[in-house]
Amino acid sequence: MRGKILNVEKARLHQIFDNNEIRSMITAFGCGIDDEFDITKLRYHKIVIMTDADVDGAHIRILLLTFFYRFFKEVLEGGYVYIAQPPLYRAQKGNVIKYAYSDDELDKIKAEFGEKINIQRYKGLGEMDPDQLWETTMDPEVRILKQVNVDNAMEADKIFSMLMGDEVEPRKQYIIENAHFVKNLDIV
Amino acid sequence: MDESRKKGYDKIEFVNITGEVKDSFLDYAMSVIVQRALPDVKDGLKPVQRRILYGMNNLGNYANAAYKKSARIVGEVMGKYHPHGDSSIYEAMVRMAQPFSYRYPLVDGHGNFGSIDGDSAAAQRYTEARMSKISMEMLRDIQKDTVDFIDNYDGEESEPVVLPAHIPNLLVNGTTGIAVGMATNIPPHNLGETIDAIDAIIDNPEITVTELMTNYLPGPDFPTGGLILGRSGIRKAYETGRGIIYNRARVEINELENGKHEIIVTEIPYGVNKENMVKHIADLHRDKVIEGITSMVDESNMNGIRIVIEVRRDVQPEVLLNHLYQKTSLQVTYGVNMLALVDNVPRVLNIKEALQAYIDHQVNLVERRTQYDLNKALDRAHILEGLKIALDHIDEIIHIIRTSENDEEAISRMKESFGLSDIQSKSILDMQMRRLTGLQRRRIEEEYDSLVIAIADYRDILAKHDRVLGIIKDELAEMKSKYNDKRRTEIVEAASDIDDADLIPVENVMIAITTNGYIKRTTVDTYKTQNRGGKGVKGMSLNSDDIIDQVLTMSSHDDLLLFTSLGKVYRIKGFNVPAASRVSKGVPVVNLLNLQPQEKVVAMLDVIPGPELEDKYMFFVTKQGLVKRVPMSEFLSIRQSGKIAISLREDDELFGARITSGDDEIIIAGDNGKAIRFNEQDVRPMGRNASGVKGFNADGSVVVGMATNKMGEYILAVTEKGYGKKTPLEDYRMTKRGAKGVSTINITEKNGKLMAMRSVNGDEDVLIMTDNGTMIRISLETVSTYGRNTQGVKLINVDEGSSVATVALIAKETEEEAEENEEAVEESSEQTEE
Repeated sequence: MRGKILNVEKARLHQIFDNNEIRSMITAFGCGIDDEFDITKLRYHKIVIMTDADVDGAHIRILLLTFFYRFFKEVLEGGYVYIAQPPLYRAQKGNVIKYAYSDDELDKIKAEFGEKINIQRYKGLGEMDPDQLWETTMDPEVRILKQVNVDNAMEADKIFSMLMGDEVEPRKQYIIENAHFVKNLDIV
Repeated sequence: MDESRKKGYDKIEFVNITGEVKDSFLDYAMSVIVQRALPDVKDGLKPVQRRILYGMNNLGNYANAAYKKSARIVGEVMGKYHPHGDSSIYEAMVRMAQPFSYRYPLVDGHGNFGSIDGDSAAAQRYTEARMSKISMEMLRDIQKDTVDFIDNYDGEESEPVVLPAHIPNLLVNGTTGIAVGMATNIPPHNLGETIDAIDAIIDNPEITVTELMTNYLPGPDFPTGGLILGRSGIRKAYETGRGIIYNRARVEINELENGKHEIIVTEIPYGVNKENMVKHIADLHRDKVIEGITSMVDESNMNGIRIVIEVRRDVQPEVLLNHLYQKTSLQVTYGVNMLALVDNVPRVLNIKEALQAYIDHQVNLVERRTQYDLNKALDRAHILEGLKIALDHIDEIIHIIRTSENDEEAISRMKESFGLSDIQSKSILDMQMRRLTGLQRRRIEEEYDSLVIAIADYRDILAKHDRVLGIIKDELAEMKSKYNDKRRTEIVEAASDIDDADLIPVENVMIAITTNGYIKRTTVDTYKTQNRGGKGVKGMSLNSDDIIDQVLTMSSHDDLLLFTSLGKVYRIKGFNVPAASRVSKGVPVVNLLNLQPQEKVVAMLDVIPGPELEDKYMFFVTKQGLVKRVPMSEFLSIRQSGKIAISLREDDELFGARITSGDDEIIIAGDNGKAIRFNEQDVRPMGRNASGVKGFNADGSVVVGMATNKMGEYILAVTEKGYGKKTPLEDYRMTKRGAKGVSTINITEKNGKLMAMRSVNGDEDVLIMTDNGTMIRISLETVSTYGRNTQGVKLINVDEGSSVATVALIAKETEEEAEENEEAVEESSEQTEE
């Protein structure tokens, strides 16, 4: 998929179904949509969202989750949706390479390696060679997946309409009240 | 984690969808807010803009250097500081180079950087760019540790968190940006005005927004010019950070030779795509939403914008224009939202907070720069002190060096013998032999002495906040003298803007209205006194069939009551009348009032609001000599939409109206030269809707003058051919209303019919205009007093075929003004020859 997909919370139905990215997802899942939805026809039991490890990646992730929640709720409830975890940093000392998936991990690696390390901050998946991507993110032997669960449908519904919906004021209020909780304030 | 292993070989963690969405959303939202869409209050730049300027600076892509390919600049910025799409960087750079987007462009572009018609710039491989002179000022002093630096995204480079910004960029260039849950929209301003406002705040931190607006910073100044309608929106934006501003195109209306009109648009509102606007007008014309356009041509070229809209013959151009304002982007609303980052927290700022934040930034900048200069000077002075010691003891130093085995030994022996530091000892070792000449030794002395003075100065600056503020003012004054330019956007008063009153200076103004219904406001001293019989100066540029009808001087804040020939009355404030130059004809009254096609303004009266008006009366005279008296209280709640002032007979018109005290004598004159004088109490008070009683037996003539005894002791009569005189009021005997009156001036072939009659005190100036626009201002002291049955003397030379059109009185000028006018006489005689 390319770029940011449509925000389905704000779009009209015909816009949603005219959208190429969304149509190809519906086709790929195979389980139909709306009236024709049939969970038994779902072709994959692991749908993995893999986006860049930056804030725009985070945005795309919630756009996708919004789409899934509004149109494929049962797929989410069935636990078929996962989030891939690409590394944030690559640290190299001599020939030894380690990947860090968080700032804490990077600090540990720094402590371990000591001086003279070469650190690369991954801004996008495209920065990795195919084999690097395989060994850090896609290889089932080592990869870490986050399974997305829906344990409180009411709460989820509220969150989606607040954060992704038409009304600006509640969203602004939410940002103002929660701004200091931000974990990953990107410097870019 | 063990449990997850069972599901397969994946390591599975579990996340709740609400938690995941909330975290990701906040990450994204905060990042966009703090690091993408909003400007920093200090330098007014968004990160991408700051990085472009810093990148260009690092490339040496200065205003005085050669242009560089845009792609190189974009590459530099993307690779080092901004790991995002190249198009987002290039687009930001293009905007910074567009003179119609930026009031003071920060990038000097070479090549196709797009147009106001919405054409996009050529691809970055074609265009070239360099910093503009102003952006050099944005970066000046950055090497002097004036701002903080942080690591770039991969820790390989560092970048400034904010630029020194010797230009108050946030306000002068404005900004617009949509973040998440919030957006910013700050209009551009004039550099000189913004700097004046900063100076004013430095001098008086308690200054009010009203004072700032009246004296220094009247409002935004868009690069595209145009008009801003009214001041209350600006004031609200300046006071609260949010407000709506109406931005209108600049247009003129021309009358064509065939009698049709054309509307010419020469400036369009800020941010409007001209091509789309023209297309929209065409669409509305095609769909018959807007009627009355016969053709529209966009004649814009390199010299500027020019859209010519031809108006159908039966359509009033002003009416069409008002429709265009309502329905197209010939008028747009600009929603000000002064949101900016203050210490990385988004805040809506009022104008003073925004300017104060800039001042604080500059204080910090000057202090850090001075500290940097101080440290440099101290370091250098330290070395020079060492060199001086060495030169004073040069033989011993040479001995130490010659007898030392190596550098280390020499250094340690010098330190021991003379108490020198490491750095000083090393500098002595590095010293060249030529330093030993007398000239070089004196140079070291001189350099040291000047450093001592500089160090004392730097320390003094750091100790005295006032000096820091003084330096800021000096540097801003320099910026103003280098880069200031004239305001492009004109701020005009909106008719409905009652809140504006205290933002508008109180001044004496002259309101003039023509027979074709054009009205304008000028300052009073625009017309100069001449000696009697002078030819006069050209008063207004007029259509040949349009002449000045009435003139009134008043305070700009008084109410102006406008009475029309159909007997209606309207009320506006003096400042609501658009200001115009001496030679311009003003704007049609229909722009201000909702008049019928044949309705014209026959009387303008200024009313100073207050309780003293309550006992007064409004006295009316019609062309046929009917009179009516109405208590003033009936006119205190007149709205713009107008009210009936007098009901008229079918073929009669209202001639004039005056405010009376309740016991005034009324004088009415007809063009047959007769005048009547009677007490107003002869006419019982009536309501607004009444039609009045017989006042002057016109006997077929038409009323040409009405006055009251309160207005003066003399009667001034002026005839068509420019003759006139003063006659004492006592010469006119009192009669009952309804009489034919007595002779007031002899009507002959030479002097023509009576044209005007006024009450005067005899010491005013009178302004006489002919129907071809020639005007003269005469002191009435120079006009002789004669009896009733005389012809009078020549007051103005009237060309063959023309006649006196109007006569107006102006208060006597001060001596100082009179002196000025002595000189002006000569000037005006030159003017008449033109």
